[in-house]
Parts: sequence; C-alpha cells; structure tokens
Amino acid sequence: MRQKHKISTLPEARTQQVDSSIFYEVQQHYHREFRTLQHENYEDWLHNYVSEDIHYWMPVLEQRLRKDKRRQPTPDDAAIFNEDYLELKQRIDRLNTGAVWMEDPPSRIRYFMTNLEVYTTDKQDELETFCNVMVIRNRRQVESSQHSIGREDLLKREGSGFRVLKRKLLIDARVTQDKNLYFFS
Amino acid sequence: MSIDIDALIDVENSTQKKRIFWDPEIYELELERIFGRSWLFLTHECLIPKYGDFVTASMAEDPIVVVRQKDGSVAAFINTCSHRGNAVCHADSGNCRAFVCNYHGWVYDTAGELVEVPLEQRCYHGNLDKEKLTLPKIRVESYRGFLFGNFDTQAPSLEDYLGDMGWLLDTFMIGAGEGMELLGPPMKSRLSCNWKVPSENFVGDAYHVGWTHAGALRVLGGELSALAGLNENLPLDDLGLQFTTRYGHGCGVIHHAAPSLHVKRQRYDHFLKETAPRVKEKLGDVRGDLFDGHWNCTLFPNCSFLVGTQTFKVWHPRGPHEIEVWTWTLVHKSMDEETKREVQREAIRTFGTAGTFESDDGENMMECTYGNRGWRNRQGSMNSTMGEGYEGPHPDFPCIVGSSFVGETSYRGFYRYYAETLKARDWKAIRENDDRWDEIWRGNDFWQRQLAAD
Repeated sequence: MRQKHKISTLPEARTQQVDSSIFYEVQQHYHREFRTLQHENYEDWLHNYVSEDIHYWMPVLEQRLRKDKRRQPTPDDAAIFNEDYLELKQRIDRLNTGAVWMEDPPSRIRYFMTNLEVYTTDKQDELETFCNVMVIRNRRQVESSQHSIGREDLLKREGSGFRVLKRKLLIDARVTQDKNLYFFS
Repeated sequence: MSIDIDALIDVENSTQKKRIFWDPEIYELELERIFGRSWLFLTHECLIPKYGDFVTASMAEDPIVVVRQKDGSVAAFINTCSHRGNAVCHADSGNCRAFVCNYHGWVYDTAGELVEVPLEQRCYHGNLDKEKLTLPKIRVESYRGFLFGNFDTQAPSLEDYLGDMGWLLDTFMIGAGEGMELLGPPMKSRLSCNWKVPSENFVGDAYHVGWTHAGALRVLGGELSALAGLNENLPLDDLGLQFTTRYGHGCGVIHHAAPSLHVKRQRYDHFLKETAPRVKEKLGDVRGDLFDGHWNCTLFPNCSFLVGTQTFKVWHPRGPHEIEVWTWTLVHKSMDEETKREVQREAIRTFGTAGTFESDDGENMMECTYGNRGWRNRQGSMNSTMGEGYEGPHPDFPCIVGSSFVGETSYRGFYRYYAETLKARDWKAIRENDDRWDEIWRGNDFWQRQLAAD
C-alpha cells in the first residue's frame, strides 16, 4: 500500500498575518532597536526594549543527519546564550566598566534585518515575529566577521511600544568564525 | 633533523624563541613528534553510551570517528574511505549501523570493516580484498571515562602518560564518588592563534586573570574579584599552588575557589560542601584540601580545562596560525540533574563562545601569534621566569610544585617536555630520560625551607 506523502507547511496561518499598520510599527521598532545597539546604548536597550521576563536564547545546533530522530535542543541543553533579565544586565555591566580592552578602540557592529513576518497570537497584546539578521562586525584594522542568524521573537505591547518577551536566535554557522559572539541581536 | 630545538627552548633560563608560534617547519615537526605520539582527547564515554552511537572528532588535523561497539568497547577510526579518501561521516553525532561513503557507496560497519562495495563482482571480479580495506583504526584508551586516541603503538598507556597528573586529577575523578562526565554537544569556534598559546595559558596563567578579565571580574564580585586590576596586596602565596609533571601536564590551583566565577551557584556550593568530606575520607587531606579549589589545567599537548568553572576544551591545531576550539561542560556524575543544568549554564556563560571571560582572551592570543609575521619580531624570545626557584619537589606531592598559583612553574614544565619530545626520535628515546626529567628542580630545597619556616 502506498504511504500518503505528508506535505509539511509552516505552522503560522496566513490569516494570523497582521495588517500593514501593525507591520510598519514592528518594523520601525526593530530598526530603532538595532540602531540603539549599534550606538552601544545597552542600558537604553535593556530598559526599553527588553521585558523583565525575557528569555534570550541561542542554542547550540549540531550537524545531524536528516534521519536522526533525537529531539531538538531545549533551554536545558548547551546554549551560547541562555539569559534572563539580570544576566543580560550583567553582560551589559561588563561592557560599561570601560575595562573590556578588546573593545578599546571600539569595534563597529552593523545589523541588516530582512524577511520580517509578524503574526498575531492567541494573546491580545502579544505578537510572534520572524526575521533574518545579518550581523557584520569590523574591528581593529582588517578584522571583519559576519554572522547569519534567524530570529524568532515573542513581542509584547507595552505602552506605546513593544518589549521582547522571548527571543530565539538560530545561528547558521556550526563553527563560529569570530573571536566571540559577545553581542546582542 | 635540521631544527635545533635547544636553540628554540632554553630550559635552564626559561625562555622560548618567538618563532615556535609561527614557523611552518616547526609546526610540521610538532604534527609528527607531538600530535603523532601523544594521547589526544576524543570524547567522553557518556556521550556515546549505546551500540552504534558515534561522534566525529579530531586528532590534530586528522578527522576521526569514534563509535561504541556491540561488545561495549569503543573504537576510533580515521574518517577516510579506503578507496580514494573521502570522509565517510559528516554528522557531529548520531547512531547508525553503518557508514556509507558518499562518493562510490562503499559501506563500512560500526567496527570499521568494509562490508559492501557496489558492483563488486562485476567490476572488481572478486579481486578486491575487503579485509585489507578497513577504516584505519586508532588506539583508544579511557581514563575514568575520558577517551583519548594515540597514533603511536609505542606510546605508554594513557594512565602512564598522565602519570602524576592522573594522581592529582583523581581528586575529583574518583574522590567524589562516581567521577566526572561531559555535557555536550560541544561549542566550536575558530581562533587565529598557534595551539600552544591557549595551552600555555590554561596550564599556568593565573597572572593574566586580573588584567585581561578586569571588566568581567569587577562585575562578578565573589572570591576572585579581588584579583581585578592585579592588586599588589593580594596574599598570593597563601592562595594556591602550581604543579607540573613528567610529560608536561600541569595546573594551578586557587584554594577553595571552585565556583567563584559562577553567579547562580547555590546547588553547586551545596554539592561541594556535601562532597568535600567524602573526598578527604577517601583520598586523605592533601587531595581533600584541593577538592574545592579552582584548577586551571592543560594535559599536554592541547586539552585544557577549568575545574570549578567546569569548562573543558580542546585546541585543535588548524595550521601553525589557527585553532578550532571545542568546548564541553564538565560535571560530577553524582550531581543531580538540576545541579548539572545550573553548572552548565554558568560554565558556558563564562567560557562559552559568548563567554563573559572567554570573550576577553581572543585578541591576546591572536596578537601573540601574528606579531611574528614580522621578520624582525620573530627573531626574538619570550620569557617564562616568574617564580623560578620558588618551586621544587614537595613532600606531600609526587610532582614538582610551585609556590603560588600566580607563577610560571607549569609553563617551564610544559616547554621542558615540549623540547624533550621534539628532540626524541621515538618513545624509546623519551623513556631513556625517565630518571632525569626533573633535574632542573631536583636539588631545589625550596619546600623543605618553606615548610620548616611555617
């Protein structure tokens, strides 16, 4: 008997896609968030763009065969970032001590966000977003690195803006080609 | 042999020529005489528990597959098809009953036997001797669950190779009941430096911690924050020791500071308090007192770890000017799951790819290597004389002991063996030095005087 071929599809329904005015709001919010980070305004970022209930997560993703049936990583597994609010604050405090010698002279980071999709959720004040982020860092004279990252957010409306409640960062490179991944995206 | 090793490493005066971090011909010699004959870390038994479980690994630049066998043993092979040399396994880990080469479809079983060759009868006409075409097998041994491979059949056993370092490591490898294991999968990153730069850093560089990591320490607080900025008033001699051994393995220990780089450490603190008395009971006071210390260690040549911070690494050489860093988390088997999770998060937060401490080290290591791009620069020397003479044989320990965790005793031991193995034609030649490897320290009565004065 022939097996029925299962067509896989994206879990978010098209009907959940937000209209253009909400899309514009989220897009501009994200652009301003990235420029805040580019300016090293980390405290502003944490205070105004990040929820106190944040889970900020970048899992370690192995190269596995397609037939491998093991489950996907969870926050209990090895992760490059696995932060709550205070842990993000501690990372920012380190940068603000002025004693991070590798950041003196400062490196230059630039973010290129594309492929933004915004969906409603079953919570009135929460939105689910997807985008691609290319992070390009230049430091010292000739050092240049780039990182291709997929981002999945749960955004919460707060006041006239948004704060990120959950951020999952899927970094495409198995072997990081950079001195560190110590940046926020 | 055309390279004059004694001109590169001055054991007597504790200096090394800068070109050891740069010259391709020195690197080639290292591949043959260090990586070709030393025990190189592969993985931990707990990461390949079931028959058919495999991980891919590296021994220097040789790609390796490590597979759990049907009889429970572990085998390791060079990841290369016996036909034309393609890799037979491209996944980090998994479970399988066979490896199929993507090139011509040759099939190897988990024991590395060539079991199937497409078109064998029609095209090889029965002339292919499959028994001679197994995957090249590597000697594998386990030390308390930690699996190492060695290309050299003449090398001593892993236990003999670790020697007195094994005695020290047993403090937690057997002292704390069930021993240690690793949590994977490993993080991987590339760094543009010579493999010896991080190896020497982890074997004995507590000196850099207060300065390189000043920002992280200031924010962290805790036991080690007093190091921030390298405060002259620190009572360094009372805080710890350095150790070095026959085959270059070494470490520094900061007393009672194991979890000091961790922030969320309630469970870990509790585990250490509960476990420490058992270690004393089992192994005695000398090692019992070290159990809750923070240890920075390197197993010669390129396996380093921090006990306490619980990060475990291999610096895989990728040419003379680059490495690939693999990082796992080190935990005690007898910790409960919650404690292991807590330790893993904190270990990675400090020494992962986005580590609050690790993020400081990369540029130092790159510049120490790449500065030597300059012809004039690489004619020079490096100095590792810190604490010379404040060290020697110690009545309580089987190895050479330095008087402070901030010192370069372990550097001197690392490069002493580095020179010895580069000069030796084979393991037989190395073993001929067994009775005099420690001659530069032998007459030193530093510890007799020191302990009598206390």
